Amino acid sequence: MPSLVEIRGVTKVYRTGSAQRTVEVHALRGVDVDIAAGEFVAIMGPSGSGKSTLMHIVGLLDTPSDGSYRLAETEVAGLTEKQLALVRNRRIGFVFQAFFLLPRETALRNVELPLVYRGLSPADRRQRATAALEAVGLADRMTHLPNELSGGQKQRVAIARALVQEPDILLADEPTGNLDTRASDEVLALFDALHVDGKTIILVTHEPDVGARARRIIHMRDGSVE
Amino acid sequence: MNLFENIRIALEALWGNRLRSFLALLGIVIGVFAVTALVSLGEMATAGITQNLESVTSRTVYVEPNYHSGFDVKRLDDDDVRALSRLPVDILPEVMLNGEYEKKPGDRSSITLIGTPGNAPATDHTIKLASGRYFTVSEANAGAATAILNDRAVTEIFGTHDPLGKRIKLVYTGGIRCEVIVIGTTEPLPMSFGASPAEVMLPTPFLWRTHPDAHLGKYEFFVLRLHGDADIKAVQASAERLLATRHSKDSLQFFNAESLKSALGNITIILQILLGAIASLSLLVGGIGIMNIMLVSVTERTREIGLRKALGATSEQIRAQFLIEAVVLTLLGGVFGVLLAAGVLWLVSVTVPFMHVFRLNPTTVILALSVSAFVGLFFGVWPAARAAKLDPIESLRYE
Repeated sequence: MPSLVEIRGVTKVYRTGSAQRTVEVHALRGVDVDIAAGEFVAIMGPSGSGKSTLMHIVGLLDTPSDGSYRLAETEVAGLTEKQLALVRNRRIGFVFQAFFLLPRETALRNVELPLVYRGLSPADRRQRATAALEAVGLADRMTHLPNELSGGQKQRVAIARALVQEPDILLADEPTGNLDTRASDEVLALFDALHVDGKTIILVTHEPDVGARARRIIHMRDGSVE
Repeated sequence: MNLFENIRIALEALWGNRLRSFLALLGIVIGVFAVTALVSLGEMATAGITQNLESVTSRTVYVEPNYHSGFDVKRLDDDDVRALSRLPVDILPEVMLNGEYEKKPGDRSSITLIGTPGNAPATDHTIKLASGRYFTVSEANAGAATAILNDRAVTEIFGTHDPLGKRIKLVYTGGIRCEVIVIGTTEPLPMSFGASPAEVMLPTPFLWRTHPDAHLGKYEFFVLRLHGDADIKAVQASAERLLATRHSKDSLQFFNAESLKSALGNITIILQILLGAIASLSLLVGGIGIMNIMLVSVTERTREIGLRKALGATSEQIRAQFLIEAVVLTLLGGVFGVLLAAGVLWLVSVTVPFMHVFRLNPTTVILALSVSAFVGLFFGVWPAARAAKLDPIESLRYE
């Protein structure tokens, strides 16, 4: 069975500095990664190891300098910005450390957001967003604004927002970084449940006990997979 | 992602920053208000004046010698009156001369002396008596020393005292003096706005007899009041033809209210364009204010933009969102500006007498709203482009 994520020899070079003196930063130095559908993988490594860059590439927020990335058997290297946005919307569900909920919108409206860009009707959006919030156990918080929710609840709203897309991959970047232990457990338990449900989850973290929840760990160091 | 959705997002974002949105809006409100109000005030003034003109003079043709045509001016006389007698008009031949009146010995002021036939208000409806009576036809033919004062002359000569039955000492060129008795006063002309000069109306034969500059049997101008529904252009053309045999070419001038009206219309259009252009400057300033606030908004919402892109928004969708937000903002300003203008115009229409016709042209409203929307579009392009160009990764990291 082919991998959902198939990364071959991917490099990423950033050029920074002035026009006279450019500095090349090699964030990724030829990475090969395979992730199968239904896997629960953690990408770990110290800061500067390239794990964030790898996550951005997997999440189609960034494109490789070189190498090949096939997502669900489709090469994404040559895609335009517009096509990348479309694939992000259809296939990638993001969960961020800082939640990134729109502060003036209710939990329900926040969860509806990705579907807005999919062009679904308001009724359809509402129905799916409601189901997603119910799935993360926040049926009674739909009309709450983010500042009326606890940290763990906010992150669950963010997870609902990712789930509502029915993505191929759930991509979580330090999802427990802003949470206390109890809320972290709450969120990680939710990931466990989603994994059992057959969802593909990629967790980026530098906390070993968070990484330990995953079934497989990809260790990164200096832009390479160890 | 449809337009409605974008407008909803825009309104939410604007409402979220109520005070700032309102302040940014204010420039557009003032600009649209200024343009709408000034253009409409011009229209109201024209409408008011035209209506007055119509009530007063639209059924009138004026004939006078062209004093600029040469030294030898052939004045109008009774033969000219007879020549026009078959036209469907009442003819009011008038004399106009300069003179002075003496308040006290040694204290003189100038005044316009107008010679008219008797019972002139019956022919010229612009003459409306305020008090007393007009001299009769027989008094006029006899050259009686009777005078009618216009409102300005009353206030200049008598102030608040009742002028009826009082005497005025007139002084002509060369020091010739005569006394006339005031038997009537006239209402102010509807369009004079108190600016008409002081005038005394006297029987024409009286002026012929007493005034050294008067030409016996000659008139300075004719007032032709049309009968019934006679066509003003046809009547004027006939009058021109009838008098052409008696006067050399171009030695007579003909006026009617239609030509006055079109001249007025031209002046108004020029004024409207000028005022509109000046007022547009405030729209420009308002637009720059919008651009500024949109740039601030884009910077503030960098993370929101990053998030929207991560969730699948394309650059075009982000651009559309901010463009629509700018347009919604300026369009709101436009609506408020038009409403404000409508209120002020209504107030003007009930308080200013010669602008009593409330005019808010739908074209003006549509134009004002389109311009305000365009201002949003124009000044929103750059901020929206900046938002669209933001890199999602950088934006999500933005603190």
